[in-house]
Amino acid sequence: MSSNHNHGIHHATYESIDEEVAPGLHKQLHRQYVRGTIYVWFLLTVGGVLAGIYLTPIFMPHMNSPEGRAAVETVRVFTVAAAPVAALVCAVAIYSLINSRHRSHLDTPPVDGPPLRGNALASGAWLVVSTLLVVFLLTWGLAEWSSQQVVHADALQVNVTGQQWLWTYSYPAQTVILPGGKTLSIPKAVDATTLNLPIDVPVQFNVTSEDVTHGFYPTQLGIQGDANPGVNDVLRTTPDRLGKFVVRCSQICGLYHAYMYTQAAVVPDSTFTAWIAQGSAGQVLTSAKTTRGAR
Amino acid sequence: MTTTAEHRLEDTVLGSTAGRFYRHQNFGTGLAGGIGLGFLLWLLGEYTVNNNPNFGTDMVVALTMLGWVIGFNLGIGTFNAVLHWILGHDQTKEDELYAAGVGQGKSRYWKYCTDHKVVGTQYLILVFVLFFIGGTLAMMIRTQLLTPNSTFLSPQTYNAIVSIHGMTMIIATIIMVSGPFANFIMPIMIGAKDMAFPRLNAMSIWVVVSAVPPLMATFFVGGVNAGWTTYAPLSTQDGPAMVCFAFTIITFVASVTVAGINTLITVLTMRAPGMTFSRMPVFVWASVIGGALGLYAMPAFLLDMTMMVVDHTTGTSFFVAAQGGSGWLWENVFWIMGHPEVYVILIPPVGALMEVLSTFSRKPVFAYKMIIGAMIGIAGLSIMVWAHHMFTTGWAPDLAGPFMLTTELISIPTGIVFLCAIGTMWRGSNWVRLPMYFGFLFVWNFIIGGVTGIYLSDVPADDYFHGNMFVTAHFHYTLLGGAMIAGTAGLCYWFPKVTGRMLDEKTGRWAFWTIAIGFQITYLSQFYEGFKGMPRRVANYDPIFAPENLISSIGAYILMAGWIVLLYAIVSSWRSGPIAPANPWSAKSLEWQTLTPVPLENFLEDVTVVNDPYGYGQSAELQVHAVFGSTGAAHHGEGH
Repeated sequence: MSSNHNHGIHHATYESIDEEVAPGLHKQLHRQYVRGTIYVWFLLTVGGVLAGIYLTPIFMPHMNSPEGRAAVETVRVFTVAAAPVAALVCAVAIYSLINSRHRSHLDTPPVDGPPLRGNALASGAWLVVSTLLVVFLLTWGLAEWSSQQVVHADALQVNVTGQQWLWTYSYPAQTVILPGGKTLSIPKAVDATTLNLPIDVPVQFNVTSEDVTHGFYPTQLGIQGDANPGVNDVLRTTPDRLGKFVVRCSQICGLYHAYMYTQAAVVPDSTFTAWIAQGSAGQVLTSAKTTRGAR
Repeated sequence: MTTTAEHRLEDTVLGSTAGRFYRHQNFGTGLAGGIGLGFLLWLLGEYTVNNNPNFGTDMVVALTMLGWVIGFNLGIGTFNAVLHWILGHDQTKEDELYAAGVGQGKSRYWKYCTDHKVVGTQYLILVFVLFFIGGTLAMMIRTQLLTPNSTFLSPQTYNAIVSIHGMTMIIATIIMVSGPFANFIMPIMIGAKDMAFPRLNAMSIWVVVSAVPPLMATFFVGGVNAGWTTYAPLSTQDGPAMVCFAFTIITFVASVTVAGINTLITVLTMRAPGMTFSRMPVFVWASVIGGALGLYAMPAFLLDMTMMVVDHTTGTSFFVAAQGGSGWLWENVFWIMGHPEVYVILIPPVGALMEVLSTFSRKPVFAYKMIIGAMIGIAGLSIMVWAHHMFTTGWAPDLAGPFMLTTELISIPTGIVFLCAIGTMWRGSNWVRLPMYFGFLFVWNFIIGGVTGIYLSDVPADDYFHGNMFVTAHFHYTLLGGAMIAGTAGLCYWFPKVTGRMLDEKTGRWAFWTIAIGFQITYLSQFYEGFKGMPRRVANYDPIFAPENLISSIGAYILMAGWIVLLYAIVSSWRSGPIAPANPWSAKSLEWQTLTPVPLENFLEDVTVVNDPYGYGQSAELQVHAVFGSTGAAHHGEGH
């Protein structure tokens, strides 16, 4: 039965073609194949590396904290590290596409290719390289992550509360001793509907929720944490660049999830102190003077 | 096999009583049964539990859904054989032949039918329907997001659509290859006459069919507000829609479990003589590994959704923080299902892809043992990575390192998948037929999906990207651009065997380019949105994200147009394409060595496997995958 139903099986084997052509031609073809693939691979790798280095900072916003810059740097480094591997995969695919010889004879299958059932060297090298890459990624990630776990003895406490569908920030009464010996004092607890942070002062966010889970996502600080009801999620950073950004909600939280955002800014010490003083005078703070008009 | 070519099993003339109840049952009686019992239980609920102030509505909806699922399956005949046995009767040979579809022509596709090829075809149609629904919902999402302050949809409708788009696509992608091809093709590939448990097989399709209406019903009872992940406590706030949603999952899990066990036992026990494990096609391995992983993952989903239903209907508080429950409990159990589940989706299409690459490169699968090992490795590691979805939730911060490790380790076996793919293409003859187009597209898309995955595996980078459009783009690149494109390659490859017709490749190539280009426009724009910090699942957005959202929406329309063109090519070819020869690709695996259309028990003669199906370019002797009939006797006993 098999012979009746196997239309057009080609029993011409790769070895049998070998006998028909001049000796050495296959070696030459193979070399050509390797060379072509290497050219394509090289071009793609250069493209990937350049894109990683130069496009990442353009694509991602200008970050206001070391954590934010770590995210940008990670994307950059990982793109550069992954580029040669991704480029190799694409190069082989592209080169086989260029090299397809049977466009005009699509109705019948082409002559079989060489029966390569594996190659210990190629597989071994692939495994070693991918393992080394994983070790690198992991080392990089753990190093960055542990560098972010530093707990400052004294940090500005900000209590962040999510509820459907707004964020509130409360600054409890506190005195923060700054690394330089200066102090930052908040004499009386202050509530605000925008987030203002003094520059170069370590800050600790205590994030919680009154109803469902929200995602506290101060975009340009490079930190993020869920606001869970009944849980205090602690996040730390030290904003070190002046500028405005937006706090968004990154966890779907119901009807007006999209509208749950507030303006935020990293401001000079003096602006921050003046802003807090307004709050101590009894008003619920919206935005600091310098941040007015921010979007 | 005793049947000869002169007398085929499907030509048997059955007596007028063969099949008993089955004679009177079809999709219509299923609908009637489901609606009838659903209505009865709704009535019961209205008069008994509806006055409960806290849970009344939820209980009534739960009863109605229960009635629908059981009624539909009673009506279509899922439980016939079991009920017969309970009553002390046995099925006669004639009954079984009737249940296998003998003498019913095309109407058997609308019935409970135990022939695995009918079940596979039914799955294929269901997959088309689900993708069409999911795709339409996706178009509504992208239409809403055309402009920053669009009012095309209300926020409530938008959230409901986002949730059901997600779940519809998850169900569709889980069954898109393991349904049609692991049922239709896989048993033939191993030389079996049918699946090990044909009745469970028929059950699996109709149970999953009955799971779809409750999912769509969510739109009419308030909508699911919480995304397909339905995080608690938001989902405990949702109305009865969440009960419908949970019933869909519970029903779906029953189907996947039954199907997974069936696949596993079939491969373990039903292989033809000589079909050793090392001669099994990669797709068979992939079906087994995907099925087994599903058996691990799905019970967690069942558990999570059952707890959700009782939270809604009885006031248990598994997930209500104010009453001692925990949203983290939901998230953990959900992702213990959720991460293995993406590989339940991915592994079977990758297996199909390897068959395509081998056949159209005219080369053996490169490093066969390594790709089997890689798929097992992916499956093994995938059960240990779930909390990388929870890096920013605040749960167990000290586990960030270990979960970063396991997640990044997965890139080693995933890398091997790429090695085997490009090794198979390497210096191949590259017969550029339609399946191969999709093969190339898979490689491109999946490399992008893979590389963007390593950013997300890194905790400091995830602290920026979590919950934003970057994640959305990443998993669409892996699941749509990777798994679904590989599944499409498989569909184009097996189309002649399943339908008996050749696919219109000219239209197919138009569809291919439209899909390929539309896809890149849609999701590269979404990566860019993610880079800029746009959150996921928002009905409106900051105008700073406007240009890339507009481009993404245009890309999505192009993408959907491409799928519709492909669907057109499929439907028109299925109806009136040129008749396909038995083996149009000159491929070696067993499904191509039997007739088209495939006979009832797949082969007219006994099958004996003598080599693996990848002997391309090798000596004439090694090119032979299997021998048939009495010639097989000489080889009998070797290997198995």
